[in-house]
Order: sequence, then structure tokens, then C-alpha cells
Amino acid sequence: MKKQGRGIATIMFGFGYGEGFPDHAIASAEIEEGGKILIRTAAADVGQGVLTIITQIAAEVLKVKPEAIRIIPGDTHLTKNSGSSSATRQTFFTGNAVKEASEGLLSNIYHYASIEFRSNHVELGIKDGYIFRNDNPKNKLSYWELAERVKERGDSLKAEASFFPRTDIPDPKTGQGKKVYVAYTFVTQVIEVEVDTDTGIVEVLNVYTAADIGKAINPKNVEGQIEGGTVQGIGMALMEEQVIKEGITLNPDLTSYLIPTSMDTPHFATLLVENEDSEGPFGAKGIGEPATIATTPAIANAIYDAIGVRIYHLPITPEKILKALKEENKRGNKEGF
Amino acid sequence: MSKLTIGFIINGQKKTIETTTSTRLLDLIRDDLHLTGTKEGCGKGECGACTVIMNGELVASCLILATQSDGAVITTIEGIGDNECLDPVQEAFIETGAVQCGFCTPGMILAAKKMLEENPHPDEEEIKRGISGNLCRCTGYQKIIDAIKLAANRLSSKNGGRSEKDD
Amino acid sequence: MTERYVGRNVYKVDAQDKVMGKAKYPDDIYFDNMLYLKIKRATHPHAHLRRIDISKAVKLPGVVKIITADDIPQVKNFGLIIKDQPVLVGIGQKMRYMGDALAIVIAETKEIASKAVRLIEVEVEELEVISDPLRAMEKDAPLIHKDGNILATHYLEKGDIKKGFAEANVIVENEYRTTFLDQVPLQVEAGVGIYDEESGFIKLWVASQWLHDTQADVAQSLGFPKEKIRIIQPVIGGAFGKKEDISVHIHLALAAIATKRPVKLTYTREESMIAQSKRHPFIIRVKTGATKEGYLTAWQAEVIGDTGAYASSGPAVVHKGMYHCTGPYNVDNVKGVAYTVYTNNTYAGAMRGFGTTQMAFAYESQMDILAHKLGIDPAQFRLQNAYNIGSSTPNGQILTHSVGVKETIKKAAEIAGWKGGLR
Repeated sequence: MKKQGRGIATIMFGFGYGEGFPDHAIASAEIEEGGKILIRTAAADVGQGVLTIITQIAAEVLKVKPEAIRIIPGDTHLTKNSGSSSATRQTFFTGNAVKEASEGLLSNIYHYASIEFRSNHVELGIKDGYIFRNDNPKNKLSYWELAERVKERGDSLKAEASFFPRTDIPDPKTGQGKKVYVAYTFVTQVIEVEVDTDTGIVEVLNVYTAADIGKAINPKNVEGQIEGGTVQGIGMALMEEQVIKEGITLNPDLTSYLIPTSMDTPHFATLLVENEDSEGPFGAKGIGEPATIATTPAIANAIYDAIGVRIYHLPITPEKILKALKEENKRGNKEGF
Repeated sequence: MSKLTIGFIINGQKKTIETTTSTRLLDLIRDDLHLTGTKEGCGKGECGACTVIMNGELVASCLILATQSDGAVITTIEGIGDNECLDPVQEAFIETGAVQCGFCTPGMILAAKKMLEENPHPDEEEIKRGISGNLCRCTGYQKIIDAIKLAANRLSSKNGGRSEKDD
Repeated sequence: MTERYVGRNVYKVDAQDKVMGKAKYPDDIYFDNMLYLKIKRATHPHAHLRRIDISKAVKLPGVVKIITADDIPQVKNFGLIIKDQPVLVGIGQKMRYMGDALAIVIAETKEIASKAVRLIEVEVEELEVISDPLRAMEKDAPLIHKDGNILATHYLEKGDIKKGFAEANVIVENEYRTTFLDQVPLQVEAGVGIYDEESGFIKLWVASQWLHDTQADVAQSLGFPKEKIRIIQPVIGGAFGKKEDISVHIHLALAAIATKRPVKLTYTREESMIAQSKRHPFIIRVKTGATKEGYLTAWQAEVIGDTGAYASSGPAVVHKGMYHCTGPYNVDNVKGVAYTVYTNNTYAGAMRGFGTTQMAFAYESQMDILAHKLGIDPAQFRLQNAYNIGSSTPNGQILTHSVGVKETIKKAAEIAGWKGGLR
């Protein structure tokens, strides 16, 4: 018999390395020849899209099209430390560093343009990579023309910035600390499943997500993280296990270690809570890891809602469900503890 | 491991190449022709990253010996679209956010193209089935499914076929 | 203020290269005259290496060189937090899991390198294999590393746990278990290395989640100045935590130095799963108390994390899990202990959520069980316990801003059409 159920899970994730670790990111922005603005960062884009996020931030601050931004590929000898693409930290850390570096560059653009235009900063306007006096917008200088002039003065148009928030080492005896993580991301998922009580097979039908991410720099990216994280969570909840017996992995391939396929993709509805109230760039917080965390417990709770049995050992395989149902029938009561 | 010479057409180009009886088609494509858009994800035909189209069929190039491609017509991702004019499937992948790390993307796009050739108006279930041989660990597949829907709609309106579906 | 690009769905800047198959991942990099590496790995999960015979393997035509620990006495251990991982296991030393490297085979082709690996003969003296962290914690268990099998112990204490449970009308106590998971990024570990004899530079093209940290670890292991190790980031085919640790890097560097030729090493999927980091399996024993009105009073958690043969991120992962033991709920009285334990399993490191993913399975199951026991709608139960501005986390961190957790509960319930007593 097929039974449907619904479960909820709410999670938090303290992001960044935190715990007093000297976690930071360095970035720079410079006007380069050929009509581009060069951003230097070592932030690794593992697919999550940090390079796109950085591009958007730099374009926003510097008032140019995203196409004008060029990011140098990560290279220990051409970029400085941006910290790890882990701990859900790149949008927050490198995003902030790039924002500050871009703001630094913008300030320099104002500074040198005010010399060129013999004007004060407030009388200057900026649009699409040009700077001009508001009273005569036709007489304008592109950033790149300005860079040439600055070069003639023996200087260059660039800025470097870092983001280095302080956190505290928790007390070793109690784990207590004033600021252990830079901030927390919160996610709630409601998940609907269908359990076949004859086969024990669980199908995840619908996933409703609300995520407090402060501000989505790129909403589609955030959705992509949530969908991808959720499907990894489905894997963790229902099928994935590297079986290691006496030190030997019994299933070291994708034939016997199953991960979700497109057939396992549920229907998604996602809502972003954007209060723009974090210390991240434009109020943003990270989403990479929080995207996967609520899924497994929400599924476990939905399975309980559907069939009245609870599985305490992951993954919740059909065999475990059938066994638990059998025991449940014997005992004839709910919530077995 | 004896050597022999084989010939085939790949991405419209005729090639004659010396290979061995133990070389996989995947190795020939990557190591000899340096068409590195075709990826190796598992080496066992499970993940679909090495998907190419051979004689009109989707194949896992890690499971095929190079010698089996003698006389074949092969399309890899490099044979789809170009910088000036991307294939509608490629465009849709960019627009819907179907690309994250991108490692599954070439195989996924070839699988999608083949599916749309056979079934220009797939519904969601048919799309899911059509790409079920291609694993993606980043996206959760939803944006890939969206991309294929978008491409299907565009292709059918371009081909004067059915008008856009409202899903 | 209206933003033009922030908050907009700007297309991914690297998507066009990726849809055209032009993006260059580590294994897509080729050089003329390039050699291929394969690694001879441990033959037993816990054993002393007594003899390694490469004589047959070296004679195979096309084999250029085989490096064993004897050839590199100057090379030091590596590791993300603790330098406990050997680059190559030497005679008299221990292999601690099936992924430990015994020899680097360098050959003209991948096939020859694989064949040569199979010709290497190894003799070992087997030790007890410890696959269960509970066995590892027993007093009479053989030591995997000399300082004991419990690598790290972390504590958490807030309020008065006894008082908290005394105030509770309902107490729920359970044990949860999670398993080893592989991150399964579609791109397995791979890289290319070059050594420039004249400048003494090593150049590596290897995917890394943290370029400069990887550079530092490679440099200290090889005894090179940091600036002589240049790592260039290719396009990365997924990571999820698996590309934080050293994989091919040091072996590539050693082979490049030894041969003065470009070298490439690409793992098989099987090798990636056996040799490279996993999600930690957790045993979580948790006891939670609440009043009959449905307010949490006490939360106690004990965590045992199996970090496998080497530390990797383990000490950080397991306690980060514990630091999240209550979830986003107000609990005045919290107590926890977290053990990070060595075994002879594949080492565990970072994976999406870093210990808190395992912990959420426990705390959100507890919340659900309590809600049902108390007869309160599970969403409402969460809502009435969830953080506000001014709430204190298990670490005692007072949240001063950006606490949208209640809104996420309300919104998720709303879009799901959740029926129940949402206030």
C-alpha cells in the first residue's frame, strides 16, 4: 500500500571557519588594458558560482556591465589568499573583500577624475564605465582613459582589500565563546514523501524550502544550491552508504554506491527570506552547506508521518523500512523508544 | 596489445589514426584527439560523463573499444554549436542555470539533444527518463530539466511545430 | 537603492565554456613528452610494511621510474590540521588504511603504469584491523597512531543540565547513526605537474578548494620554500569537501622532480572512493527535555565521529557537529562531548555541512518525536522554540542580527500548505 506523509525540519549553520581561526579573504581590483577590470582572487569556483557572484558585486559597485569584469584564474603566484571554498564562506568573505576592493578602486577613480576635471567629488557623475562632471556630461573620461592619465602621473588605478572578521576561540572546557561563528544561515524544509509499504521504497514528492540567506546576490544560483543540496540530502537519507567492513570498502564504484539520478528529483518550491540584515556583501549570507542539511531529517520525519515508524540509522533503505514495519506490527504501538 | 589503423568521422572531420586493441574510445577521443569535452567520471558506464553520439546512438565511450569506432560517425560536445552560434540546448543550459561544476554538462547536453531528436515534445517524466543515465551531483537535476523544456519549446516553435507549451 | 546586477539572475560567467566542452579540468591538460603515474596502495588496512619488491615492475618496458619511501627520506607527512599522513609508507612503517600509498609508478602510458603496479610485490605483518570506533576507544585496542586512538575530545557546557532535566516534563533519549558517504564530485582527483630544474620551481595544475593552504602543505612536505610551489587552478568538477585534502599533489611533484618531465596522475573512481576523504559516520546519543507546554529545558549530546586512518578535517568536523547539537532552538541547559576517533577505515574529512548535517538528523528527529509526544504540531513546536534576536547558541554566542529562522518556518509551512496551529 502506498502511504503519503509530510515532515518538517529546521536547521542552522554557523558559517565561516570561526572559532578564532584567522579566516580571511584578500582581493584586488584594477583597471586593465583592453577595456576590462581585473579582479584578483584565489576563491575556488567548484561549481557553486563564486566567480559569478564576484562579477556581479564588482559590476554593481563599479557601475559597469558584468562583461567588463575579468577574474584571473586562481594561481598561488598571481592571487592572494582567499581562504577555502568551504564552510559556506566565499560569498560572505571573498564577496566582502571584492566589494571593498571595488569600492577602493571606485574611490580612486573619483580621486583622480576630480584632479582631471578640476572638480570636487560631489560634482562628478559615473555611468557605465565613464566619469564626468554633472554639469557637462558630454565631456567624459572612460575608466580606461583615466587609467592612462593616472599612469602618466606615475601611479596606477587599483585597490586591494581584505575581509578579516574576528571570531573567538571557544573555551576548551565548555565550548563557550562570545562570537564563535561570523553568522548563521537558517533553513526550513517541508518534504512530502510516498512510502510503499509492500516494497519499502520511498519516493520524495515535494520539497518546500524557505531559506534565510540575508540577500540573494543571484537568486537562481541560490535556488540551484538548494535543489542540488536537497538531492544530495535525498541520497544521504535514502540510499547512500560507503560500506567499509574490516577496513575494506565493499562498494567502491557508482554501480554499487548509488547516488540520486534525475528520476529521484522531487518537485521544488523555494522561497528566499531576504532581510538584508547580515554583515555580508549587500546583506548576503552563505547557502552552500545549509542547502543540504534539513533534507535528511525532513524525509525521516515525513516517513514517520506516513507509516508511523522511525528509523534511527541512516540510510533509510527499503529493507530497514520493511523490517521496522514488521516489528511495528508485532508491537502494535507507535514511536518505538 | 597490437597496433592497428582505424578511420572514422568525428564532428564532421575525417580522421585516420593508429590505435591499439586495448584502447578505449574515450582515451582515443581525449588522449589522441585532445577533444577533452568528453569526460571520464567512473570508467564503468554508470555516470554518463563520457557520453558521445556514435552512428546516431548515445554511447558511453568508456565502454567501447577504439577499434569498434572504425568507420563510424561520431559527435562529441565539440561538434555542437560554436562561439558565434550556440545550439539551443546549450543556450538553454546557460539561461536556466543548469550548469554548476559543468563536468556532467557535455554528456548531459548530448543526451538532451538525442532525446529531443526522438521526442521533440517531452513531458517532465520523459525528460527525467531521458537523462537518467547521466549523473549530476551539483544541480539536483531540476535546472537541467528546465533547460531541456526551454530548448524543446524553442526548437518546436523554430521548426514551425507545436507552439510553446505552457509548463 | 535599486541594484542593477546584485539580486539579478546574471548568467554564470563560466557557463559558456562549460556547455561547449571548452573548460579545462585537471585531467584535460596535456603536455608533450608527458608521463603517467599510478599509485601502488596498501594491501592491508592495518599492517607493518616488511618488504616491497619493485624489481619485476621496473623491468617492464615503458616504466621510467618507481619511487618508494626509501628514495625520499627528506619528505615529511602532510595533513590539513595534523600532519599525520605519510606521502609513502616505508619499510617498518605502518599502513593504516587501504588508501595509503606505497609506491609511485611512472611510465610512458597509463596502461603500462597500471600493469607495473600489479607487478610490485609486498610483504606485510598484519595487525588487528579496527573498523569500529567503539572498539578503537577500548583500553586494550591496538594503537593506530602512537598518541592513542581518540584523536580529540571536545566539550560543551552551558547552564545546568541537571536542573534542565529536572524542569522537564518529557524526556526523550535516543541513539542515531549515520554512515560513511562519498562526496562523489563527478571529477575525480587528477592533476599535472612540471618541475623546472633551472629555477627550481614546481608547477601543479590540480583542483583545490583552498589554493594557498594546499600550496603550504605541499611545500612543507617537500621541504621547498613556499614560493617555489606554484599551483594553478584548473576548472573544478565539483568538490563538496573532497578537494580540501591533498590527493595527487605531492606524488606529482616528486615524480616531476625525479623525471624532469611533465607528469599526470588521475585516480580511478574506485581509487577516489577508497583513498580520499569521506563524510564522518557519527554515533549520536542525545537526551532532550521539554516542559508539557512544549518548551525545551535541557539538551545533552554525546558524539563519536569515526575519522578513519588520518585526521584530515576530523577534529574540526566532529566538534562543529556538537556545537550545533540543539539546532536553532533556545535551550538554556546544554551539555555535550565529542570524540574524534581513529580507525582503519578510509579517512573522513569535510563534506557539505561539516558534521552539522549528521547532527541535524539527530536534533530534528528529537524535535519531531517531542512534538508528537507533547501533542503539539511539529511546525508550531519548532516555531515556539526557535531563536530570536538575543538568543544564545550552544556556544553561548548571543545572536545580535540576521536571525530569520522563525520566518523560514512560517514561510515553508505557508508554501507547503501546512495545516496546524501556526501562530
